[in-house]
Amino acid sequence: MLGKLTWSAIPFDQPIPLVAAALVGLVLLGIIAWVAVAGWLPYLWREWITSVDHKRIGVMYVLLGLVMLIRGFSDAILMRSHQALAYNAPGYLPPEHYDQIFSAHGTIMIFFGAMPFMIGLMNFVVPLQLGVRDVAFPTLNSVSFWLTATGALLVNVSLVVGEFARTGWWPAPPLSEATYSPGVGVDYYLWAIQISGVGTLMSGVNLVTTILKMRAPGMSYLRMPMFCWTALASNLLIIAAFPILTATLAMLTLDRYLGFHFFTDEAGGNSMLFMTLFWAWGHPEVYILALPAYGIFSEVISTFSGKPLFAYRSMVWATLAICLLSFTVWLHHFFTMGPGGDVNGVFGITSMIIAVPTGVKIFDWMFTMYGGRVRFTTPMLWSVAFLVTFVVGGATGVLLAIPPADFVLHNSLFLVAHFHNVIVSAVVFAAFAGYTYWFPKAFGFTLDEGWGKAAFWFSLVGYIWVFTPLYVVGLMGMTRRMQHFSIAEWYPWIVAASLGVIVMMAGVVCQVVQLVVSIRRREELRDLTGDPWDGRSLEWATASPPPSFNFAVMPHVEGEEAYWAIKQRAREQARLREEPDYEPVEMPLNSPTGFVCAFFATLVGFAMIWHIWWLAALGFAGAFATFVVFAWRDRIEYEIPAEAVARINRQNRASRLEALQQARRKEAA
Amino acid sequence: MSHTQGSAPDDRAHADIAPGDEYAHEEFGTGLRSYVIGLALALLLTAASFWVAQTRIMWAPAIPVALLTFAIAQMGVHLVFFLHLTSGPDNTNNIMALAFGVLIVFLLFGGSVWIMHHMNTNMMAPIEGGVQMPLQKGVPLQPQPAMPHGGGGHH
Repeated sequence: MLGKLTWSAIPFDQPIPLVAAALVGLVLLGIIAWVAVAGWLPYLWREWITSVDHKRIGVMYVLLGLVMLIRGFSDAILMRSHQALAYNAPGYLPPEHYDQIFSAHGTIMIFFGAMPFMIGLMNFVVPLQLGVRDVAFPTLNSVSFWLTATGALLVNVSLVVGEFARTGWWPAPPLSEATYSPGVGVDYYLWAIQISGVGTLMSGVNLVTTILKMRAPGMSYLRMPMFCWTALASNLLIIAAFPILTATLAMLTLDRYLGFHFFTDEAGGNSMLFMTLFWAWGHPEVYILALPAYGIFSEVISTFSGKPLFAYRSMVWATLAICLLSFTVWLHHFFTMGPGGDVNGVFGITSMIIAVPTGVKIFDWMFTMYGGRVRFTTPMLWSVAFLVTFVVGGATGVLLAIPPADFVLHNSLFLVAHFHNVIVSAVVFAAFAGYTYWFPKAFGFTLDEGWGKAAFWFSLVGYIWVFTPLYVVGLMGMTRRMQHFSIAEWYPWIVAASLGVIVMMAGVVCQVVQLVVSIRRREELRDLTGDPWDGRSLEWATASPPPSFNFAVMPHVEGEEAYWAIKQRAREQARLREEPDYEPVEMPLNSPTGFVCAFFATLVGFAMIWHIWWLAALGFAGAFATFVVFAWRDRIEYEIPAEAVARINRQNRASRLEALQQARRKEAA
Repeated sequence: MSHTQGSAPDDRAHADIAPGDEYAHEEFGTGLRSYVIGLALALLLTAASFWVAQTRIMWAPAIPVALLTFAIAQMGVHLVFFLHLTSGPDNTNNIMALAFGVLIVFLLFGGSVWIMHHMNTNMMAPIEGGVQMPLQKGVPLQPQPAMPHGGGGHH
């Protein structure tokens, strides 16, 4: 009846996960009870859970990313503190538990921290920057988000029901085959990633269609803001690369469930093929995360330097070059597996070539700042810190791209320090730069600068403090994923890295405090005009938060930096544009399809993990029925009358006019 | 799930129809004719493949090449007559998408075959009683483990 699921699946003998999960569970239950008692459930259901508004979905993606970044960070705290206690000692985590923690850390950070954060920012910002009212397929967008949430839920359920994979964040066969990993850990990994991967792929299709087909009148490709370009490249990579991951994991699933031999080491299987295919997705994935990050830095650096982006076209070309080259370097993840000198040589060279367009971008950002009037706000601090630390990470990357050097450094902590150096300074710094930069657009008030800067400095110092010792100890020969060690020379460096985690933790705390303080002080921090940073692209042309239809009338774009041109004209003429003729707006209706689909997908995933076949069939049938009901719906849109559109827009025009006149008076005085 | 245009000019509204809707207004007769031509060509190419493979009209080593040619032609017929891929100005996105897709498939497929060939040559255990595979010159031969080195990969 319940397949492999019995009471023994719950790890009563391991207090750490059980107590942690109980605490989180209590907090969650408390929040749900609080929301229910306050009577907010209908509001949540109506305005958020069933929303197909790209802004709401974007906010929910970012929230999921934030929570999962903290979840992944807690794994990092465990690993660092465990290793600090594991010199000639067993530490406090048993090996089988330690293995799950480093696997979960990587899986959660990449798939459920970084990905939702970046996809959320793209979802929120891209339609606004393009001057349109929603993405191409709004309900599909909701389905994408909720399927991603399903994946995150399954990974976290593995904490208390069963176990997680012990294979590392890529489930390498033959270790991940049923022979060597008979438990449900790898199955949790497979189903969580497959279900959220469907969501990611649909999200990629949605955003590519939006960018190619739905720009505001006059917004030609070469007038799009840089973030839209990087979003386009990133989503093209999602469409091209995620099917490879899906197919590879599907083959591993067939091996495990039906006794196939794709990656086994008998009966004609080949475990090396898994590495080849996995990294053919894995390296483009690096750029799926990094490209939107580059876009965020471009927007932030240009806005806070008060200058257009330097060499816009070279930036576009660099973005597209990275998009293509990212598919030619994947072998550098397994130089040491033995493809031989010829193959290693070719992939070593391509790996170095891909550093060139990134270098072009670094210079473009520096020249954007050069001669500008730079304002060192929190988003700008993150961006400048990125420029400095990312170059260090890039340099160690070029070093690792040399196959003979890689033979020495492969799977050492030097490598771990390298990829954290690039991925934290690019993706995490960009995530927080973008979060601070676009928060006022999403909620109508800016975030507290003091706490933001404190969060930035603690995070930056902590991050350098953690990973510099890991570079050193890696060069001394320490490999990754060691549950204990007995080399005296490594010990002080490992302790130093663990102390750095405390500083990083202070950064995380400041980030949370910043949010709480800002919400309490929201009236002082209110952004009335919709343009708190003196921005240059179209998202700042509408109110903060934007109305559900984004723009009362479609903006007409007449050049690069569409909003800057409008604003300059308004400043010169000391008046706003003529008031447009308002027309009624049709917007898509909310739909519970995404949430219901994800509910059934959760059942399917859980049932497949535990071999509860009837429940899996039920889940599939339910998800399909949801789709049929959605496809047969009668009404798809509702109309916002012209008067309502006019009323909302006039409000924003009034506060903009006031700000404009205020600025004039200040200039005159 | 259409996106509403406020006061967009006509050309804009035309350019904004959803993918797949592009032939919604085509007349029934012309649409049908292109499908019939496509079907006839597809059947002809299929029949030709079987015929070439089963007769001796062609020089035997050339048969695989002929089959490959027919297969590629078959793909072209599908793209043009069934998926309506044309060289018209409104089809640039589709052509670009196809080119990008073909390039990625080429990189992935060609790259994987190349990598796996070298990997198998260098790393797979020799067949029992077979020839000991050559390692690099100057490196003394050692007994090979039965399992390939599967622990590669970083990041």
